[in-house]
Amino acid sequence: MEIKGSVALVTGGGNGIGEAVAKFFARNGAKVAVVDMVQKNIDRVVSEIKEAGGEVIGVQANVTSEADTARYIKATLEAFGQLNIAVACAGIIRDGTMLTLDKETGKVSRKMGLDKWQPVIDVNLTGTFLTLRDAAEAMVNGGWEGLLVPISSVNKVGQIGQLNYSSTKVADALMPKIIIGEFLMRGIRNIRCVGIAPGYTATPMLTGMNQEALRSILEDVHIGRLVEPDEIAAMIGHCVVNGALNATTIEITGGLCNSKGIAK
Amino acid sequence: MKTITYNDIEFTIVKSGKGWEIARKLTDGTLAQVGAGLFEGVADGEAEARAVALVKTVFPVGIKSVGPDVTHPNMVGDLKIVGPDVAHPNFIYWSKDSTSFAR
Repeated sequence: MEIKGSVALVTGGGNGIGEAVAKFFARNGAKVAVVDMVQKNIDRVVSEIKEAGGEVIGVQANVTSEADTARYIKATLEAFGQLNIAVACAGIIRDGTMLTLDKETGKVSRKMGLDKWQPVIDVNLTGTFLTLRDAAEAMVNGGWEGLLVPISSVNKVGQIGQLNYSSTKVADALMPKIIIGEFLMRGIRNIRCVGIAPGYTATPMLTGMNQEALRSILEDVHIGRLVEPDEIAAMIGHCVVNGALNATTIEITGGLCNSKGIAK
Repeated sequence: MKTITYNDIEFTIVKSGKGWEIARKLTDGTLAQVGAGLFEGVADGEAEARAVALVKTVFPVGIKSVGPDVTHPNMVGDLKIVGPDVAHPNFIYWSKDSTSFAR
């Protein structure tokens, strides 16, 4: 599939990796629907893509809502007449351990509440599911060639303090295998699915963190720096044009290792 | 150029180059882009109609009902305590706003 002339939908397109992906597709001749929770971010990204000569719409929406999902798919079809690429970048973190102990008594003093658990499940897992499901529905019914891209994370292997986040990201990483297996079973041949599992990436969330903690993270990255969002976007672009990539999740981490030098 | 007011927002629909642009007026009077490069090759009248339809899809008028989220109750014995529906955009304020959330 060619990027030029295709139509891409990017959730979480208002900042971070999603913004880079939206701009990458627009630069390379795709028509882009930018979906985000924050209207101000949408306005900025849509304006910048327009100034660069791109074709774009912006839709404020909550990816955990079925009604909103149907609305941004509908808006994309109304604006551009088709849909070829759906990248589910929208994601959140609410870090914390499942149990916290009182230092003096050794008894449990706090449990991870549903306020930390449920929103992460809803956005990262249910939101990804809804976006991919409805995008696939449009692609099947429209008969267009398509690519579905769930965004996983290198922390799908299990990160302390991220029981909620890691649980969603391992599920997101599994989606391509199941979705393509089902497509094969149902005779759906026009849509591929490739997951992307980024490592530590230079998004505002990470670059704004404690610099000492950031240096500590980078000691475990072989290339000695954060992965750039544009590098993630370029990998997704490669997934579009390389028709053999399918039913898998690709890590792009810069060589993230644990403290003993073993690749994570 | 066509100007419409919908959902208490003023939108302008204008042909620019080969395509069409939609912008909306913000409260401070500046314009924010809704879409650009749209409906290339479509006749003017049809493009305007499609732009209006797109505006109504992107900025829907309506009311969202909020909670309670009966699918994720906090159990205290046999008592189910339900908080707001986390599927609503305000879910991130759940722990702060909900009087029923177990702290």
